[in-house]
Amino acid sequence: MSYEVMVGNKATATGVKLARVQVASAFPVTPQTTITEYLSEMVANGELDAEFVNVEGELSSQVVVQAASRVGARTFVCTSGPGQLYMHHPMHQTSQNRLPVVMAVVHRGNKGMQPDHTDLMSQMWTGWLQLYCEHNQELLDTCLMAYKVAEDERVRLPLAFGYDGYVLSYTAEPVEIPAQEEVDKWLPPNKPMPSILPDEVDPSTFGRGWGGGDPQDAWRFHHEAMLGAADVIKEANASYERTFGRGYGNGLIEEYRCEGAEAAMVAMGSMVGTARTAVDRLWEDGKKVGLVKLKCFLPFPEEDFQRIGSTVKAMGMIDRNVCLGHGGAGFRMLRHSLYDLEDRPKVLQFFAGLGGKEVRVDHVVKMGEKTLEAARGEKASSLVEWSG
Amino acid sequence: MSQRVTRAQIPLEDITITPGSACQGCGAALGARLAFKALGPNTIRHGIPCCPDSVTATPRASGVFEGGGAMLTGTWHGLKAIGRTDVQVVGFFGDGGTYDIGFQGLSAAAERNENIWVITKDNEAYMNTGNQRSSATPMYARTSTTPVGTLVKGKQERKKNIPMIFAAHRVPYIATASVGYPEDLIAKINYGKTVHGFKMLIIQTPCPVGWRYDPAKTIEIARLSVQSGIWPLYEIIDGEKFKLNYKPKELKPVTEYLKPQARFRHMTDDEMAQIQEEASRNWAKLLKADETGQVII
Repeated sequence: MSYEVMVGNKATATGVKLARVQVASAFPVTPQTTITEYLSEMVANGELDAEFVNVEGELSSQVVVQAASRVGARTFVCTSGPGQLYMHHPMHQTSQNRLPVVMAVVHRGNKGMQPDHTDLMSQMWTGWLQLYCEHNQELLDTCLMAYKVAEDERVRLPLAFGYDGYVLSYTAEPVEIPAQEEVDKWLPPNKPMPSILPDEVDPSTFGRGWGGGDPQDAWRFHHEAMLGAADVIKEANASYERTFGRGYGNGLIEEYRCEGAEAAMVAMGSMVGTARTAVDRLWEDGKKVGLVKLKCFLPFPEEDFQRIGSTVKAMGMIDRNVCLGHGGAGFRMLRHSLYDLEDRPKVLQFFAGLGGKEVRVDHVVKMGEKTLEAARGEKASSLVEWSG
Repeated sequence: MSQRVTRAQIPLEDITITPGSACQGCGAALGARLAFKALGPNTIRHGIPCCPDSVTATPRASGVFEGGGAMLTGTWHGLKAIGRTDVQVVGFFGDGGTYDIGFQGLSAAAERNENIWVITKDNEAYMNTGNQRSSATPMYARTSTTPVGTLVKGKQERKKNIPMIFAAHRVPYIATASVGYPEDLIAKINYGKTVHGFKMLIIQTPCPVGWRYDPAKTIEIARLSVQSGIWPLYEIIDGEKFKLNYKPKELKPVTEYLKPQARFRHMTDDEMAQIQEEASRNWAKLLKADETGQVII
């Protein structure tokens, strides 16, 4: 174990190295670019024994890792904003083929260079597991957990973990680096299933792929695997915590000062750090507002939110994204999850940090106060608010 | 360069599973049959959308239409990572996946000189979706998106010279082939198997449905294409060394190739003469290149 002060992109690259990734591919795009540089250096210096394929675009990077994963290699790909959108098509193929590819998405919005969660949220229908990270240490840890989850026989799905560009990608923080031997013990090599090698392949798979049977099965099994991954994510988080001394809530969500709270805010990504301070300030003023960090967006932790939702009178979802014409992705999922509760809390929608707009502690305090008012039965001036 | 193969030397064992989804007289199905005979079973073949969806007794993974080059690249690097470099990585794509939607990724794979095979069955239009024009469609050919109308008759643009474009990437091996000349086709695969790096074989594969001729005449049409200089057979090493593999004393007139195909039925004598002039000019250039052994682009 050692420590280093490093930027988010280096924490990710260090995670990739510790995971002993065998094939990585990427196309440089701000603010993901330096991951590709760190990986190139690691390969050039012999620190990472991997094939790093410098391709001509993001679509190809996704296809390269997809094909390498199909052969059985452990793979990594990373991108941001427009690059993420460009690789949308093959992302469907990666998940459909149940390939445990891991991808880092360094968030960059679509209406400018600054971060919001539009890039990864736009991939909601591609059948990838989605995690959102708060700080650099969590990046390294999540990268390792990602392989544990994706390659698990019960899951075998690709996983994307996202983090806010600039805010984390280019900001240095102290990061604890676990020892390679410890990681090797915790994360055994990937096993391809089933093999595609000519001398090992099952000849019954020759031909035209999915055929016969119920055409809906491909969707049903995929959906069920996505839902089932929640338990494996929790397991991986708990096992990581036992081994390396760090965990992130139950792996899906992390509660902060929710006990005895009248209302709870929900935040994602780097904004969670700001929200923690805001919640501390609210409690100092006697305002009992808790915070839930939503880490695992897909599969959505419905049960956790139902449990929390039945203890508070109002919840405020802070979305750093908007599905245009629909609303915030987090808000929609949260309210949907709470609908089945007999005594359900009010749910307020806050938009913050879109297009990289700064989110200050004061902003979150105000959102908390408004949510608390709703919890106390006061009529909210509006259910939706664009903050800041 | 490729070494002469006799008909008796063509492997008996078939790697393709017939009938696949091919029509009667399908040139592309025959192209697959020949190519995979020579490649043998230690092969991973990747398919992207193409016509027909040839089926081979080799493992495959389906890929996105535009991702052929990257698919082969990832497979090769994956095999390297797991220590199985003995396995051949082969893409069997159509002209759409090579000339058009897949071009960017293939160009990049060629530039990186990935150790892969790209075999293209060029049937000169998007046959999978019902004969729409591609950049491989020859000038004046009728397709469903270059119809014969009152104002415009057939495709108004020339066919993209894809072999020379890839030759300009200076890849180790690129060759053209025809299903009308199986020995030559097999010889080129045999040679390519000895080469490490990017290998490309473009096979002209007549399509009776799209080109509109009697399905019994596929071999005849394929041969006329070569014999009239429309589809010359050649090979290029490292983007420089050139060899013309089929050199008749005299070319047949292009009309012998064009006239049996209803896709060219509307052509005027002037248009035929223009195609003849271009074919003759190109042939003279290729003869010169063959004489000097150097590519002339």
